[in-house]
Amino acid sequence: MATRRSASSQAPAGAAATIQSKHVWTGTRSVAEAVKIADVDVIAAYPIRPYTGIMNDLAKMIADGEFKAEIIIADSEHSQFEIVKHASAVGARTFAGSSGVGLAYAAEAIAVTALGQLPVVAVAGCRALDDPGNFGMEWNDVFLFRDVGWLVSWAKDPQEALDMTLVAYRVAEDRRVMLPHFVAMDGAALTHISAPVDSPAQGSVTEFLPPYDPPYPLDPASGPITKGQHIAPSLIGPEQRKLIDVSMKNSGEVIQNAWYEYGRLVGREYLPFIDSTLMDDADIALVCMGTYAKDAIYAAKKSREAGLRVGVIRLRYWRPFPSEELREALSGMRGVGVLDFSYSMGSPDFAGAFFNDIRSALYGGRTRPPLLDFILAGGREPTVRSFEKAIEIVHEAAKAEASHKIVHWLTLRGEDV
Amino acid sequence: MKSVPPIDYYTSGRRTCAGCGPAIGYRLLSKAAGPNTIFLGPTSCMYVANGHQFLTSPYAVPWYHTQLGGGGAAGTGTAAGLRALMSKGKRKAEEVNVVVYGGDGGFADIGYAGLSMALGQDYKRLLFVLNDNESYANTGIQASSTTPWGATTTFTPSGKKNGIGNLRLKKNVALTVAAHPGVRYVATSSLYPPLDFMNKVRKALDSGGPSFIELLTPCPKGWFFDPKETVTLAELALDTHAWVSWEYREGVFGLTYRPRAVAPIADYLRYQGRFSHLTESEIIEIQRMTDEEWEYWELMDKQKRVVLPWSSAPQTLR
Repeated sequence: MATRRSASSQAPAGAAATIQSKHVWTGTRSVAEAVKIADVDVIAAYPIRPYTGIMNDLAKMIADGEFKAEIIIADSEHSQFEIVKHASAVGARTFAGSSGVGLAYAAEAIAVTALGQLPVVAVAGCRALDDPGNFGMEWNDVFLFRDVGWLVSWAKDPQEALDMTLVAYRVAEDRRVMLPHFVAMDGAALTHISAPVDSPAQGSVTEFLPPYDPPYPLDPASGPITKGQHIAPSLIGPEQRKLIDVSMKNSGEVIQNAWYEYGRLVGREYLPFIDSTLMDDADIALVCMGTYAKDAIYAAKKSREAGLRVGVIRLRYWRPFPSEELREALSGMRGVGVLDFSYSMGSPDFAGAFFNDIRSALYGGRTRPPLLDFILAGGREPTVRSFEKAIEIVHEAAKAEASHKIVHWLTLRGEDV
Repeated sequence: MKSVPPIDYYTSGRRTCAGCGPAIGYRLLSKAAGPNTIFLGPTSCMYVANGHQFLTSPYAVPWYHTQLGGGGAAGTGTAAGLRALMSKGKRKAEEVNVVVYGGDGGFADIGYAGLSMALGQDYKRLLFVLNDNESYANTGIQASSTTPWGATTTFTPSGKKNGIGNLRLKKNVALTVAAHPGVRYVATSSLYPPLDFMNKVRKALDSGGPSFIELLTPCPKGWFFDPKETVTLAELALDTHAWVSWEYREGVFGLTYRPRAVAPIADYLRYQGRFSHLTESEIIEIQRMTDEEWEYWELMDKQKRVVLPWSSAPQTLR
């Protein structure tokens, strides 16, 4: 770990307003540092690869007295998420996380946290849903919570993992939002990979992220609040669902504003929803999320040497889904390939869950480019060649202006039936 | 406490059954805990019957639902949140009780691991009360692991092949709680006499760490008895040794109720429809098991330490 302290060397949005230090950190370490900077009050831990390193680091920081928080070693992921839900209800800032089947085990607690409108922040270190003990990278664990009212952002590298965690607290705790927030990190490829990180100093983001001020804390000092009382569905069922819907709709503007403010603070410029690379003159594109965007960009550059005008679109948020921004970014494309680390068995066209979300968003657009799904399920690591192959297939489909085969399992051995 | 204070923090605005044992327990609990308390309610009768139709709340102190298996974690998270905020100067430091009132399904079955986790923490004024009505009552009386041998429930009916009904022996949750070295106070209690439970609540909250009380709460709906007999049954349970009232603190065990005259178990069973199918020989079998177990409770009281109670397995008589 580098410890040389200096102001951020690159400050595209002008000079950073806060002092930062330079480090080489893994994705998990970066998130742990963000949790410390955010002065989180209650942390609930339970081990499962690949997210666990965050909790290892936090436990050491607390043992060393680097910051003060209650860290609870839970008996299960279900307890983990119940603990932070209830700590959040009394007004504490909280952090949890999990991976793969751990998230599935916690599903009940995760769902009701959104319904309680509690701004818990958690990391999902993406991992396959097990048997046979698969610890490869897949998105289906996070995708279990696609529909339940959690915001979901997807980090690309350790720097963005740190930044996204800090911004997640700001967005989740905004009175217009009040929803829990996942920061998704691709397992191994981001959680365990080290890269240079500029980190704001502890205590330097207080203005951007003041202590959590809960509207209705569950605390005798705030009066007899009854929360989550059992009701007949006919009484307020639809209205309560609508509250979550409205919060999710509100979050777009809050996210935009938060990244603008954060960019000014740290001198790193982020477009909140979509990260476009090589798109200025592109006529075909790959769409993805997370850390494999870097590999896709590398492959796109190589393909450009062969004359293909290909660009890469990376979604930084999955919930709320940036439909408008995506339509705009893909307008005029002659072909689009989706890099999809999810599956959705039996879904429309037997495609992945990510693909079907994108296709659903584009249905409302003016143009509907030919859209292909490149499934990278099962945890076998794709290579640069996998992405080059995806670009070639999209290029061929664009030339033919029609494609018979929509879904391609890129990392599969044997016949793709 | 020498008398039951008139003030209630668990009041009207609920639709519990007439003669509801768990509701009587809630009322006594809230009187003993007082106003500086947060209640947490895992899903149970005490969730569903305390709300539902009228958008009302019977709670005059903060209350939050937790999932059926979430009681231990909810108590832990709430206590952790308060302690973190207080120790970091984000909230005024004072003593706030965190009390989780869960059922036998919530604490003896699905939330057993979470309860065990919570008992290993070091939060003060964190109390778990298991209101044991010996079944999943709000879903229609299904057997839990604290349903006694021989009781009928909708999952353990008395039938042509198995006439007995429930064949599992009642789990002794409080004794397993006593096996947690971090727990500061463990007790069992009954709705009778009311001051017994209330004083145990006080002792538990003042014990300096996590604590646990298992309260037997007769349920007219699930046990099939006349609602006016709830407290009578709570007393009869003790007088027949069907339920044993004890406490364990700082390594010392003691019985806290001894009947003036021990009544036969049949006196307790015959009030309840859930046992009405039992034959005379089956009731004798229950008496035998009860007597055998009682010897261990006597031994514990004499030695002031926990000895695991045991009775020879019931014979399947038919």
